[in-house]
Amino acid sequence: MIKKVLIVDDNEDMLFTLKEGLEKYHKAFSVVTATDGLAAMGELKKRTVSLVVSDLKMPQVDGLTLLAHIMEHYPDIPVIIITAYGNANSAKLAREGGAVGFIGKPFMIEDLARKIMEALKRESEGGTLRNVSSSGMFLQLIEMEQKTCTIRLVEKSSGKQGVLFFLEGTLLDARVDGLRGEKAAYEIFSWDEVTLSIQNACAHKHRKIKKELQAILMDAMRVKDEISHAETCVLSVEEISGTPDGGGGETGSVVDDIGNAIEKELGGKPGIDDIYKDKSWDFLVQETARIGTILKIGSLKVGYVDVGENQDYILVPRKETAVLSVDPKCPRDRIIQILTG
Amino acid sequence: MKALFRDILSLDDVWGIMLFSFEGETLVEEFLPGPVDEPQHSDFWPQIIGAIGRIREADLVFENSRVYLRRTELGYLFVLMGAFAQTALVRLNCDILAPSLKEIKGSKGLKRLFKKKG
Repeated sequence: MIKKVLIVDDNEDMLFTLKEGLEKYHKAFSVVTATDGLAAMGELKKRTVSLVVSDLKMPQVDGLTLLAHIMEHYPDIPVIIITAYGNANSAKLAREGGAVGFIGKPFMIEDLARKIMEALKRESEGGTLRNVSSSGMFLQLIEMEQKTCTIRLVEKSSGKQGVLFFLEGTLLDARVDGLRGEKAAYEIFSWDEVTLSIQNACAHKHRKIKKELQAILMDAMRVKDEISHAETCVLSVEEISGTPDGGGGETGSVVDDIGNAIEKELGGKPGIDDIYKDKSWDFLVQETARIGTILKIGSLKVGYVDVGENQDYILVPRKETAVLSVDPKCPRDRIIQILTG
Repeated sequence: MKALFRDILSLDDVWGIMLFSFEGETLVEEFLPGPVDEPQHSDFWPQIIGAIGRIREADLVFENSRVYLRRTELGYLFVLMGAFAQTALVRLNCDILAPSLKEIKGSKGLKRLFKKKG
């Protein structure tokens, strides 16, 4: 797992020298750079960084301000401070601010590399797992065993990197690219195969994710399945007889036609309890159809509604509304696709 | 307030959002430049919102567009989208947004946050 180290210095020559000098450690970490504290904050927001090395004295946002920002928003990311003003006071300020290391100019690149490697080692002190599912059993074990840890993951296919923070088995927070919290967790749990490393500590203390881990895992799987279905489904659906205004010789066969079309495409009627006509839905269908008129988006073809009952309903506008009562876990997007042709 | 809906509006093929109070008053309306114009004021919204009062969530498929409708603490949220939008992602983003709307409802000065429209 190649870790990213962000080096921040307003001296571009220095940045270049450090990047070149650290190139020989490319198997352990890669280097990204920023020319001031503000640019560094932007980098931290958009990519997953394992460690920051920062100069202390910089225009606009200096090293100590950047350090404070990192401690507040990314307390899991270790910071090493570099300065030409390597006096005891600067070192003290940096350490009090939360920096894990301090190096004064001039220094040997090898010394800096050693400090970086030492700090990065802590990321995987609890072990590394390769080619596992991001939503697999190990997460549930962490919850069951009430472990406190930071898990860093890299998706195999895209190389995307993300971080999960657990405190006594509770998922507190997650981070991936520009996302934080639940959104980041959903993204990470949708990954297929990952390499992950475990650090036996969690610098985050505040719970940003309110949902239970199981609920997030289930939702992430549902979204993944639905997207996968939508992407792979090639529909060749026959027109379902009848017209929205009820013309065209509509008969009771509308119900049969709907059932047949679904059966043909899905090989059955998964999650569909019943298909019938029901006038009591006509008013709702008529009013929701009005939305199409106001927004100039055409007539209503199908509506899927959840009214808080044990079952949901799919409504097909006809002279008398055709209704499919369905299990909320039915493949709703596919059924809608079939009904809309 | 509109910043809350930025994530939904940034999803592929999402065209706009509208948030109506339970009385049919427009609380928020944001349309991206694209296939659909911002709708003119309509007297029918209160009637429509009244009629859909039972609905917690709905996917409505129209000839030229789709509307995802979601009951929230503040009223009904309509997400207008094209044929290529992933409704699963829209639903998910609405799930994530819902607690924020609940917090706004519970906070003081709610009315200051909203732009009143027709």
